[in-house]
Amino acid sequence: MSKRIFRAGLAVALIALGVCAWRIFFPSAEQVIRKRLNEVARTASFSAKEAPLATALNSQKLANFFAPEVEIRVDVPGRWQHTFHGRDEIAQAAASARSLVGGLSVEFLDITVTIAPDRESAEASLTLKARIAGEKDLIVQELKFFLKRIDGTWLIIRVETVKTLS
Amino acid sequence: MATNTAASTPPSLLRRAVIGRDPRRTLARALVLVVSVMVVAKFVLLPIKVEGGSMLPTYQDHRVNLVNRLAYLFHEPRRGDVVAIRLAGPSIMYMKRIVGLPGETVAFHHGHAVINGKILEEPYVKFPCDWERAPVTLAPDQYFVVGDNRNMPIEDHTMGEPHRNRIVGKLLL
Repeated sequence: MSKRIFRAGLAVALIALGVCAWRIFFPSAEQVIRKRLNEVARTASFSAKEAPLATALNSQKLANFFAPEVEIRVDVPGRWQHTFHGRDEIAQAAASARSLVGGLSVEFLDITVTIAPDRESAEASLTLKARIAGEKDLIVQELKFFLKRIDGTWLIIRVETVKTLS
Repeated sequence: MATNTAASTPPSLLRRAVIGRDPRRTLARALVLVVSVMVVAKFVLLPIKVEGGSMLPTYQDHRVNLVNRLAYLFHEPRRGDVVAIRLAGPSIMYMKRIVGLPGETVAFHHGHAVINGKILEEPYVKFPCDWERAPVTLAPDQYFVVGDNRNMPIEDHTMGEPHRNRIVGKLLL
C-alpha cells in the first residue's frame, strides 16, 4: 500500500517537473510577452549613479523593445498630452528623462495579456507604478500595450493611457 | 528490562504551548488557519496601504486598511461610501468617496459638490475648497468619486466617473 502511494507521489512529482521544464524551455506567447514587459520596466528604471555611456546604451536598449513605427499616446487630462512617434523619439525621450531626474523606478503590475486568434498580435493591460527619486508621490497610470510578432520577436507597436476614472 | 520513558513522561510545558499535545492535529489546525487567512485576504477582506493625501483628514497617509469585497453583494454602492477602485488589477487601487450615483448630474461650484442642482452636505470635507467644475451626467453604471482632501488645485486631484465594474469594494475601517 505504502509502495503504491510512493509511486503515485513520484509520478505526480515527475509530471509537475515535466510541466515546469516544458514551460521554461517552451514558454507560451503570453509568458514571453510578460517577461518582455517586465524587461521594459527594468530597462526604463535607472539610478542617479548611471554612467553617461550606460545612459545612452540603456536608452537605445529601451527603444529596441518597440517597433520602428511605434506610437505612444500619453493622455492624462489636465496634466500631459503628447504622442511619441518612432523608436528614435523614444530613445531621445528616455535619454532626456535620464538627464532630467536623479533616478526612476518603474514596475508593471497586474499584467493581463490577450493573444489575438492569429497568434501574431497581442494586447496587454497593466498598471504602471513609478517613483521619481526624491519625490514623495507615486506615479500610477493604467496602460494598454499593443504588440506584434515581427521576425519572431514581440515588439510594442502602440501604447495608450487608459482613463480609469471616466 | 526496558521501559518506554518517552511515553510515560508528559511533554514539557513549552513544547505543549508551542505544538500542543498532538503535533499532527496542531499542524492540521495551522494549515486550515493559513488557508483561511489567504482566502479571506484574497476574496473577502483585501488588505491595503493608503498612499497619498487625497483622502485627508479621513484617512491618513501610510495607514493600513481593509477593503470589503462582499459589501456590494446585496446592494449597490451608496453615496458617502469610501470605495476602492481598481486600475488594471487590484495591486494598486484608487481610494475615493462616492458623491454621485448613476444618472445624476454632478458639478462643483464654489468648492461644493452639486448634485442635480443641489449642494451636497459633506461633513467629512474639513479643508477649504474653491473648485469649479462643469456639470457631468453619469451613465446608468457610472458613479462620481472624489477624495475628501479638496484643499488643492482641482487639476492636481484625481477624481472622475468610474464604471461599476471597477469598484472592488468598500473600505471597512
